[in-house]
Order: sequence, then C-alpha cells, then structure tokens
Amino acid sequence: MTPTTSSVVFWRAFGCLAIFFMLSPLVLVVVFSFGTNELATLPIGTLTFRWYSELFANTNFATALRNSLVVTLSVGLASTVTGVLAALAFARWRPAAANGAIMLLSLPVMMPPLVLAMALATSFSASKFQLGLHTVIPSHIVFTQPLVILILYAQLSSFNFAILDSARDLGASPWRAFRTVLLPLIGPTIIGAALIAMAVSLDDFVITFFTIGNGMTLPTLVWGMLRKGLDPSVNALGALILVATIGSSMLALGLTRYRG
Amino acid sequence: MTSDRPRILQILPAATVFVLLFLIPLGYYLVISFWRLKSYRLTPDFTLANYSEVVHEYLAALIFTVLISLLTAAITTLLALMIAYMARFKMGKYGSLVLLVVLVTLFGGYLVKIYAWKTILGSQGILNAGLIQFGIVDEPVPWLLYSPVSVVITLVHFLLPFAVLPIYSSMREIGETPMAAARDLGAGSVRVFFDIVLPQSRPGIFAAFALSFLLAAGDYVTPRLVGGPETFMVGNFIESQFINRLNAPLGSALSFSTMITCGVIVLLVNWLLGRLLRPR
Repeated sequence: MTPTTSSVVFWRAFGCLAIFFMLSPLVLVVVFSFGTNELATLPIGTLTFRWYSELFANTNFATALRNSLVVTLSVGLASTVTGVLAALAFARWRPAAANGAIMLLSLPVMMPPLVLAMALATSFSASKFQLGLHTVIPSHIVFTQPLVILILYAQLSSFNFAILDSARDLGASPWRAFRTVLLPLIGPTIIGAALIAMAVSLDDFVITFFTIGNGMTLPTLVWGMLRKGLDPSVNALGALILVATIGSSMLALGLTRYRG
Repeated sequence: MTSDRPRILQILPAATVFVLLFLIPLGYYLVISFWRLKSYRLTPDFTLANYSEVVHEYLAALIFTVLISLLTAAITTLLALMIAYMARFKMGKYGSLVLLVVLVTLFGGYLVKIYAWKTILGSQGILNAGLIQFGIVDEPVPWLLYSPVSVVITLVHFLLPFAVLPIYSSMREIGETPMAAARDLGAGSVRVFFDIVLPQSRPGIFAAFALSFLLAAGDYVTPRLVGGPETFMVGNFIESQFINRLNAPLGSALSFSTMITCGVIVLLVNWLLGRLLRPR
C-alpha cells in the first residue's frame, strides 16, 4: 500500500519544523556574534568582528581558555585510558554481566548533575581538599568514562576475539597482539570516544562550577557574563564553545559507527 | 573465546574512579542529610529534622517541580517519538540526516542553548518581533519569558536529543517483516503503529521519559536564567542551601527527597506504559 500524499506532506513539514526547532537557537547565537546590534534582536545590523576582538581582549577569557584546555585534554586522555581498559575487559564477559557492570558505571551520567556536583563539593570540603582544576578533572572523569565504555563496548561486543587469540597462539605477546591486531580495528572508535568525552567535559557547567572554587573555565565564564547583564561578546564566546563541542562530536561520529 | 577471568586489573582504574568520585561522595552526601548544623558546623547526628523541614517548607516547591517536569517530559517524549518514527520509517535516506542533527545537538552548548532561548523569548526577542510583524499580537507577549512557559520550552529543546536516541534505537530493532506481514493482512499504517511500532518501542519510550523527567527535575540553571522571580524549582533551593545558607544537610535532604519522589513516579510511569502499550 502506498502512503497517501497527505501523510507524506505532514511528515515532510514536521521534519523541517523539528530540524528548525533543534538548530535555530544555536544558529542564532552564531549569527548574532557577527552582528553590530547589541540587543540580539533582528535585524542583526552589519557584519562585525567587534565582539570577538572584545572577547579576546578580556583577560578572563585567556584564563578560562587555558583552564578549559587543561581540563578537557586531561579528562579526554584519562577517561579514554580508564574507559578503554574497562571496555576491553567487559567485551570478554558474558553480555548480561557486562551490561550490568556498564549500567552501574553509567549511574553518574543518569543522575541530575546538580546532585553529583553537591555530593562532590561537600565531600571535597569535608576531606579538606582545596578546590581547583585538580578537583575538577577527576570529577569530570567519573561522568565521561561511561561514555567511552558505552561507545567502545558497542563495537567490541560484535568483535570476533578468535583473531586475537590466534595471534596469541602464534606467539605474539599480549601487547603485540593488541597493537598489531586489535588497535588498528578499534583505533578510530577510541579516538571518536575520546572526542565525545572531551566535548562533554568542555561543555560541562554545573559540576565544574561547584568543584572549581575560585577558578573559571569557558562555561563558567559564560555564566559570569550572563549574570553581569548585557555583554554582546557572550555571543562570540557561546559561538566558540558551540564550534568546539559540535565540531568534535561531528568528527567523532565520522570516526565511530556509534549511533546512540 | 570468552574467558571467564574477570580481568580485575583492567577494570581497576575505572572502578577506582567510580568508587572514589561517585559512591563515596554520594554516600557521604546521603549520610549528612541525617546530620545537623551546629553554629555553622556539620555535626554528626541521626535526625530526621531535615526531612521534616523538607515536608513542611518545600513541599509546594517539590510538587511544582514534579508537575513542570512531568509536563516537560511528556512533551519531550511525544516530540521525540514523532522525530524517531519519522527518521526510522518516513524519510528513507534523509532519516540519517535527522539523526545527525539530533546527535550533533546532544553533546554541546548546554548554557548556550538556555541563553539563546532567553534572547528568543524576551519582550524584544525574535519571537515577539515576528508575532508583531505578522499582526498576530499588537504588543509583546509578556509571559513568553520569565514564566513556567519559557522553562518548559527551554527544557524541551535541551532534552529532545536525549529522548530521541533511545526511542530510535528501540525502533531500529523492529524488522520490516512483521510490518510487511501486518500490511499484507490488511492493517493500515495507524494499526501498524499502535500494534507493532509502539509496543516494541516501549523500552526506548520509557528510557526517554525517565531521562528527560529526571534531568528536568534536577535542573536549576534553566529556571534561574529564564524562569523569572516566580518560577523556583527544587534545584534552585538545593543550590541556595549550598551557596547562600551553607546548610548542606538540608540541601542533601532536599536532593534525596526529590530523587526518591522522582524515582517512584518513574516506576509508576513504567507500570502505566506497560498497561497502555500492549498490542491489542
């Protein structure tokens, strides 16, 4: 039975509206970051780079950018190591046990960030830890490592480990078997998973805000600018964060076959 | 070959992070909800005073939060169901394009999204300007921003990608064969949707609803930025116990009361979905 024309028209219209709803707020922020109009209303005025140069002249921006880079790179590296090691072990488990363990490790992602942030902040203060980047980084690893595990496990669960075992039977050391057989196959997925972990870490506001003390990262700088009132260079900062996080997740999607 | 060695050493780093930065902090945070504050210092105790304060002082906020989160989760899940259905069954090769948009908006721009809605819905924002331009209203609609309406719109936009993905992955499992068989036996597309697609998408629909409900109920940034002075959600009170009043025990009791309430509601919804989404 062929679908009726009215249903085709309905789904096309709905599809366009849905994409418009999802993307337009993000597009607007980028568009306003290049417009002379200070009020973020249409028309945007003429093309300008003024908000970007104001942003780059802001001394807080340099500090926040440096901190965000330190946090994002450390978290990306560390959560990839812990996540890949765990996913490789889970891939050898029975699926039911592996899924249970992955579910458990994913709890930090499923709970409201505010509660995790409060729990971490009160615990750090009870154990007399000074807050700073060194408390932000481990706090990020706990909710980025499950993403790495999920993405890699999705690929490994269909991987035929007999190939790896043959390499071992033929005399390869465990490290050599991993490096020459497994790594070339799962390398792109690992890089993709690391990029997703970095995007999520770079974008995090709530947990960073409560575990950083007096410091700042790019999202907490956005928060500060929003609270101070009208500052059009917040659009430029927002656009930069969007480009970085969306850019790395697009790259990641190209590298992995993970689709949710 | 699947070996049964648990490979403890490989899991140890991830497990250590999980225990040190999730289980222990969350356990400590739970324990202090039974403690009390004596001259601004946390004092070990076993008191239910904090929970009784939650019931007496914050019950209205808790109910309001639950209602607004239920509304948000219902709208989000319905839209996500339509988007996933469209991407899976109605768009052919363009379906993956829709999925790409969903995935790309998933990982980035939490604060930027909320802030964008603030500029869109404001009295000088694009939406009001457009409504006036087309002569639908004469002056800006005041309740578009700083109201429960703006909180729901903003949360739905932010949560939509989280809700589409689980539903889509459930729908991906539905084979063409049962659907073709149903059609050959004379079922219309509505019948196929209610008898095959919906029941088989139930795990995804539940995951989508639960995730958007829990994340909405725990959010404090959205009501803070677009909710105005009247729309306070429990998250705002939890945050202020920590930031302004330094009353961590009460903040903790509020957190766990909210999570337990939401957990019970999620279980109820699961039971309800089981009743509703049975193939007839």
